[in-house]
Amino acid sequence: MENILEVHQLSKHFGKKQALNNVDFTVGKGRIVGLIGPNGAGKTTIMKAILGLFSYEKGQIKIDNHPVSEASHQALAKVGALIEYPAIYPYLTGLDHLKLNATGDATTERIDQLVKQMKMESYINRKAKNYSLGMKQKLGIALALINQPELVILDEPMNGLDPQATKDLRDVIMSQAAAGTSFLISSHILSELEKLVSEVVIIDHGEVIKQATIANLNHQENDFIMLKTSDDAAARTSLAQVGITTAEAPGLVFNQTPSATLALVIKTLVKADIDIYDVVHQGEDLEASLLSILHNEKKEA
Amino acid sequence: MTIFAVLSKAKPEWFSAKGQTTGAFNGTLFLAFFLIGVASTIVASEFQHGTIKALLYRKYYRGEIFASKVITLFLFSIVNYVLIFLYTLILKFVLFSNVALDAKVGKTTVLGQLGLDLVGSFIGIWLILALVLLIANLFKTGSAAITIGILSYFAASILQIAQSFAIEKWNWLKWNPLNMLNVGAQISDSTFKSVTKLSTPLLTTGSLVYTVIFLLIGYYIFKKRNV
Ligand SMILES: Nc1ncnc2c1ncn2[C@@H]1O[C@H](COP(=O)(O)OP(=O)(O)O)[C@@H](O)[C@H]1O
Ligand SMILES: [Mg+2]
Repeated sequence: MENILEVHQLSKHFGKKQALNNVDFTVGKGRIVGLIGPNGAGKTTIMKAILGLFSYEKGQIKIDNHPVSEASHQALAKVGALIEYPAIYPYLTGLDHLKLNATGDATTERIDQLVKQMKMESYINRKAKNYSLGMKQKLGIALALINQPELVILDEPMNGLDPQATKDLRDVIMSQAAAGTSFLISSHILSELEKLVSEVVIIDHGEVIKQATIANLNHQENDFIMLKTSDDAAARTSLAQVGITTAEAPGLVFNQTPSATLALVIKTLVKADIDIYDVVHQGEDLEASLLSILHNEKKEA
Repeated sequence: MTIFAVLSKAKPEWFSAKGQTTGAFNGTLFLAFFLIGVASTIVASEFQHGTIKALLYRKYYRGEIFASKVITLFLFSIVNYVLIFLYTLILKFVLFSNVALDAKVGKTTVLGQLGLDLVGSFIGIWLILALVLLIANLFKTGSAAITIGILSYFAASILQIAQSFAIEKWNWLKWNPLNMLNVGAQISDSTFKSVTKLSTPLLTTGSLVYTVIFLLIGYYIFKKRNV
């Protein structure tokens, strides 16, 4: 499969702090890839490097096989983006922004269509300084899409959107992707990307932990169970004594395996005189998969 | 400008009509403040609203964006100077029929002196604008750039005495950028040479060179900036 974006061995420091460490991943043409990791993991930094906004010490970035860096921007003609927060001039209307940014043929038709598709008609003629957070966010996304780029980079695009707006955005992304546009979308909330992406790149502390398709992720043994107990700390210690590790998540989370069963956990806790208030099966969703991957990473380290 | 024109009509003992006409009714003073504000705003507001990112991640090179800012400002300042020139003439014709454009002022005429004043002010203000662009790029905020711009507008006259002592003592100090800020004054009044110790062509060249240097430093900062 051809790749629209290739990031190879990308490293970057801020002073002494290593923000990115040998980051490697690809985005295939027509794919929607999620860039997922906790706050501060380096998602925005990766995106800024791809867009030539940050310099980097080591590595290679290629868009459609053309190298991109701070000093070489030609390939970015194919890219639309929304990074951190939307780039908006307060005294222009939403429509002004779109007109200002639209290039090429039939701009008026494209603007009309996008405004309708994103349900922005009611406020597109108002000055942007009066927009709500969600309206600004939508305008920012519309600006990223307006020139029909081959690759769209969205940094936490669901921020500030209500459920209806989130769904509208998802529909827009889906329909653009069906038409052949590739997406790289970051988020620290997995569930909001789960319905959207076909692949995820999981990153933490500036390193790629895994790139996998959603289907592959869900095939792992990730039967996660969360307990609420009268004394989580004591419970952790007792479980450790019988060889069951718990993830560092809120509450008490463990990965059920043939040797570490729920039955064993309950017996251990009852013996230690710890009350169990609640047992939640987290199932095989993306959230659990991520937890399992981060969990395994800790075990290996 | 209109206020100064009306004042010198009503109170000729305060402001001389001839002096006001050759000095474009103080229009260049207000234009200077205005241009300093514009220069810092067109750079700083892009950082403030985060719109600079949207400009930079496109196919354009950073140099193109920086150049577009400078060219816009340059054209804008020329238009404004032309407007001031025309408006001065209008005010003169409406209010001061007694001032003849070809009346002698020193070695030149009223019109000639007005021209020298505007050209001098233009060269002087660009030295300051280049500095303002540099500062706005450095600090990403407009207020620092505006403050420094306005201070440097007055710096030459405030520090004139101290500076002329220093130049008497260390002759090479006449090449310092602060001395170049006198370029406007010297172009309009060549006796300023005794203060700056530089001939008008040298002073003009010097301030143009500093303007270019400031612009280049500003560009360098802009280019290296992580946004
Ligand atoms: N301009 C900067 N200067 C210094 N450190 C930075 C800068 N931008 C980001 N960082 C640091 O790099 C790390 C990754 O940040 P970021 O990419 O914004 O994370 P994310 O977007 O995943 O939340 C963080 O530790 C952050 O503090
Ligand atoms: Mg971020």
